[in-house]
Amino acid sequence: MSEITVHESKAPVIHDPQEEARRNDNHKFAMWLYLASEVILFAVFIGGYALFRLNEPEAVHNAHDGLGIGLVSINTFMLLTSSWCMVMGLREIQRDNVRGMLRWLGATAALGTLFVGLQWVEYRELSHLGITLDIASSVEAYGGFGMRFYAPTFFHGVHVVIGVIWCLLVMRRGARGEFSSKRYTGVETFGLYWHFVDVVWIILFTLIYLI
Amino acid sequence: MASISVPMPGVQPAPRPKLAEYLRWSVDHKIIGVQYMATAFFFFIIGGALAMLVRWELLTPALDASGTGSAYNSLFTMHATIMIFMWIIPMFAGFGNYIVPLQLGAKDMAFPWLNAFAFWLLPPAGVLFLLGYFVGPAETGWTAYPPLSVLFSGDGQTLWAISIHIAGVSSILGAINFIVTIKNMRPEGMGWFQMPLFAWAVLATAIIQILATPFLAGGLTLLILDRVAGTAFFDPSRGGDVLVWQNVFWFYSHPAVYLMVVPGMGILSEVLSIHSRKPVFGYKMVALSSIALALIGFTVWAHHMFTSLTPQLRVPFMITSFIIAVPTGIKIFSWIATLWGGKIRFTAAMLFSIGFLSQFVIGGITGMMLGAIPVDIHLHDTYFVVSHFHFVLFGGSVFAIYAGIYHWWPKITGRMMNEFWGRVHFAITYVAFFFTFFPMHLAGMQGMPRRVAEYAPEFQTLNVIISISAFVLGISTFIILANMIWAIYRGKVAGPNPWRALTLEWQTSSPPPAYNFKGTPIPFDDPYGYGTEAANAYLAAMEELMTPAAQLKSGRSAGPASASPEPVAGD
Repeated sequence: MSEITVHESKAPVIHDPQEEARRNDNHKFAMWLYLASEVILFAVFIGGYALFRLNEPEAVHNAHDGLGIGLVSINTFMLLTSSWCMVMGLREIQRDNVRGMLRWLGATAALGTLFVGLQWVEYRELSHLGITLDIASSVEAYGGFGMRFYAPTFFHGVHVVIGVIWCLLVMRRGARGEFSSKRYTGVETFGLYWHFVDVVWIILFTLIYLI
Repeated sequence: MASISVPMPGVQPAPRPKLAEYLRWSVDHKIIGVQYMATAFFFFIIGGALAMLVRWELLTPALDASGTGSAYNSLFTMHATIMIFMWIIPMFAGFGNYIVPLQLGAKDMAFPWLNAFAFWLLPPAGVLFLLGYFVGPAETGWTAYPPLSVLFSGDGQTLWAISIHIAGVSSILGAINFIVTIKNMRPEGMGWFQMPLFAWAVLATAIIQILATPFLAGGLTLLILDRVAGTAFFDPSRGGDVLVWQNVFWFYSHPAVYLMVVPGMGILSEVLSIHSRKPVFGYKMVALSSIALALIGFTVWAHHMFTSLTPQLRVPFMITSFIIAVPTGIKIFSWIATLWGGKIRFTAAMLFSIGFLSQFVIGGITGMMLGAIPVDIHLHDTYFVVSHFHFVLFGGSVFAIYAGIYHWWPKITGRMMNEFWGRVHFAITYVAFFFTFFPMHLAGMQGMPRRVAEYAPEFQTLNVIISISAFVLGISTFIILANMIWAIYRGKVAGPNPWRALTLEWQTSSPPPAYNFKGTPIPFDDPYGYGTEAANAYLAAMEELMTPAAQLKSGRSAGPASASPEPVAGD
């Protein structure tokens, strides 16, 4: 019936600009849908913590006294800055400045890595205080704070790590000259993800550390 | 020579499918669709066999065949999990993958690679789940209520959670793909309300998957942590809360109920209209009621928890549960009106659709009964509930799947299934189904609890009737399986449009060639617009094409593209 063999492993090369515009739109739209499902996923953790906060204010107060806010403030500031770097990186590629984009995205990845590093430092301090994931080894005064603290923040940290890896991949594509002022959906899509991770952290920070 | 995608002039035998193509990585949505279906059918057989074992145990009031209560628990747990996560959901994903791009006149899904990736997550998930059986199987039913699922079940429970996690990721990725495809890949001239109803149903399903599945994923993550990392989110003895799990689980699982039936309703709208050659009655209402089901489905979850919920919260959930019957009712009445005055062909696909109509209504009515607080408190966790959801999931979803197979198998393989054996299959399935699940209502109302291996002797008569019917029902599955395989090798050549349908998937050859269509196919203003001038002209052309004379004329070499019927879109 068909004379043409189709190599399925290779997507058809697309030259039609309209087709490409649609594909770009597809990618961004798909990213928004993915983020919608991520919102729900984090909602479970955030909701779980919020319930705990309402039911056991005593344990949270004790934990807050131990937690301190200095380290995490620096961390939050860094993550916000990384989001700003992301915006600048996108702006550079829209002006066709690949090197500028690489520089800003490099800063994004570096700040993201620092964030995860500092979070690890904080985890160590907390575990010395006796706030642990395993409820059996957690100090009584903190109640179930440990698990409800570590689960969402660790889950968020994993998202940051994935984001950093993704950022490096975007940079590699950029260095190969795959992006330009006419073609930057790859950067934009990653940007959506990174800003999302940032927004989640703002919610977690407010809920866990400030309230 | 033959160009790759002219709608086939004349009826030509399709080449036999090559098995190897279906066993390896492929980004062609048609191959992925069949891969989904084959995987799902494999698990359907396993899940069915487990149900047979459950029924074997229940032949007598005493605990005998399964040996221990734990072994029996793992049987029904595996049965339910497999049927839900490995059979119904992937099977509809398979239909969606194969049919939706064709109905939209698209070359493929929006993200072919993602599509393949989503499929290949599924077999590992299934294997992982089956392996769980050998390391201390999950014994908590598919609902996995803690503390039972945290403190008492074996390591298989952890694997259970992980494998559902993976299947969930697969389903979210697939859903993203469907929504993007349906929004962005429709051809010129096909607005939202020119879209076939199956595509609408898949859209509604995908919305549920994206918004509900992550909820389960969050819950499962916490459950896994409880089991392996010493946390106690769901362990009340250490500060956890079991009700949080119930809320999280049902906030996913009630929408998931619609996720398992809405695509089936989409199939029904197609089959009932096409096999009675009548436009769908109230097309817009049917399309929008799918979306309504998807959205209202998020507001009813706590009706599963009437016995564990604060009493003040029961009434609001009873009200929403009654409201959700409205969109379903719209569909039912629209289908009846569609049939009314149509030229009904009692094909196997049509028979199963009518079967769906009758059985699903019973399931829906018992659903309303269970949604009423006083009735539910009496019937909670009895066989009445088992009966209710089997009427919905077997009498609904599985009947729709069967109808879909009889309807689209000619498109997929290029060959007709045997109608006689299709009718035999329907007759046996319908009767055996009824006598399997209807008596459960009676047992439940008399107080027989679900999920027990031992029961009071007075229930034995009912249970023997149920078990024997269940065995017949189990065997009847092999009739359709044999028919499907027989069709590939011996079936009559189907031609592009054996059912004289107007939707786009029937405008290309069967099976469709690589990239599905040549050029952009032109959709009808109304995909079910039977009786319009455009439809009559198109079907007359189709008729001529499908006659034996045309077959002879076309001979070996394919005719020119102009021989293909060009539907006249719009007046």
